[in-house]
Amino acid sequence: MTRFAIPLAVLRSEWIKLRTARATYIALIAAFVFGLGAGLLDVLSVTDHWATMSAADRAGFDPVGDPLSGFQLSELALGALGVLAVSTEYATGMIRSTLIATPRRAVVYTAKALVLGLFALLASELCAFAAFFLGQLVLRRQHLDVSVTTPHVLRAITFAGLYMAVVTMVGFGLGALIRHTAGAIAAMFALVFLIYPAARAFEGSSYLPDHLALANAASALASIASPTGPHAQRIPSFAFASFDLVLYLVVFLGLGAARALRDA
Amino acid sequence: MNNQSQAPVVEIRGLTKRFGRTAVVNDLSFRVEPGRVTGFLGPNGAGKSTTMRMILGLDTPTAGRALIGGRPYRALDKPLHTVGALLEADAVHPGRRARDHLAWLAASNALPAGRVGETLERTGLSSVAGKRAGGFSLGMRQRLGIAAALLGDPPVLLFDEPVNGLDPQGVLWIRTLMKSMAAEGRTVLVSSHLMSEMALTADHVIVIGRGQLLADTGMRQFIESAGPGASLEEAYMRLTAQAVDYRADVAAAIPTETRGPGR
Repeated sequence: MTRFAIPLAVLRSEWIKLRTARATYIALIAAFVFGLGAGLLDVLSVTDHWATMSAADRAGFDPVGDPLSGFQLSELALGALGVLAVSTEYATGMIRSTLIATPRRAVVYTAKALVLGLFALLASELCAFAAFFLGQLVLRRQHLDVSVTTPHVLRAITFAGLYMAVVTMVGFGLGALIRHTAGAIAAMFALVFLIYPAARAFEGSSYLPDHLALANAASALASIASPTGPHAQRIPSFAFASFDLVLYLVVFLGLGAARALRDA
Repeated sequence: MNNQSQAPVVEIRGLTKRFGRTAVVNDLSFRVEPGRVTGFLGPNGAGKSTTMRMILGLDTPTAGRALIGGRPYRALDKPLHTVGALLEADAVHPGRRARDHLAWLAASNALPAGRVGETLERTGLSSVAGKRAGGFSLGMRQRLGIAAALLGDPPVLLFDEPVNGLDPQGVLWIRTLMKSMAAEGRTVLVSSHLMSEMALTADHVIVIGRGQLLADTGMRQFIESAGPGASLEEAYMRLTAQAVDYRADVAAAIPTETRGPGR
């Protein structure tokens, strides 16, 4: 291939596909309801019980991380959207229509990933900032709120959104690799949630598996409090957690591409 | 399509497709000329759909080439302007509205948005344009597939079993459509198992069996070759009898012809 360009027409086509699928709206609603709702319940509980909370519990409170605690559910909804954005094409046979219209598989795969990635990033950032500001409104009652200009706050919110967008694209890569919706969603779930307990089995010899687990990376990225207690060692540094995001993105988009560029 | 004499030829040269040790298509060569309807016949498993998939760049040939106007399909820029294809009618997301299905297809090849409405009109789907494809009858899904094929007003049309599931009006409609497309100078290749329908529609026949060419001739000569007063069905049965017998023995070893990716 001498020249590789993504025609605007193919990007537009993929955008029409994304915005005319019901799953897109369902996933988006689920991400916002869970993301904002669970975070809201978390901070309401903190402000209601602040007076009676132990010193240890108070020390564990994070005015940025707590409002974002619903993201564990949001990321599942967006990860599922990532899977569905590609797996349904194979499940329904629609991929043949796609490849007849755009025979170059690399163009289709890249355009799909770009459109979904950008959409997921916008939605995730919107969700992260909304969750943060909603949380601060509640926390203000007990004067526990922080300003967005406080050091590391903006970074934590931004990376919370970035993290969710990466999980969406991990779902996308798995969808392209596995092509079966249920199988890919199960794999995505295992990767995001079940790696965490699995990594703990290695703690006797190394904390590296812990540092590679997405759940621990999320703790490092989307908070401003330093981790304390025995859990602290499991949390990677901010830089390592950022590296995790890049690693997951490259590995899973790569695996998806390896299969998508072969037979339809 | 403005210039009637310039519709591209579809040319198959030594085309071979093996799945494991089985050759589903074996050194197949033929040309599909513009200006006539070419019927593409053969028993189940003869390799018709695999050949169509290779013409469309969906399967990679093990050997040989499939060319449209001298170029492989994957080398075509905005191919919907050149080739319209109807494969199986399920190449549609069931949750998507008919209009939206055509809209993304049109956008991918930079076709004007107005083509969607025109094509829906032409295929009689205007009244259900806002309905989700999953609720369509087989005949309506078939019409939506044909609408997708006509979207780019292409000079080359490939139809795999287009009359499946169509009611008598639909069958007449597709027959008239294909004949008028050929009369306009387009290149039309249509596969079918319905011999009586083929006899009414096609001007030329290509018959394959076991992935190899059995006949490539005018419809009239083909029928007459079976003797005086013979029908297309009789001519076809005589020609493919051995191919079918052979199939039956090895059927278990051969991947199904409509090897859809969705499983």
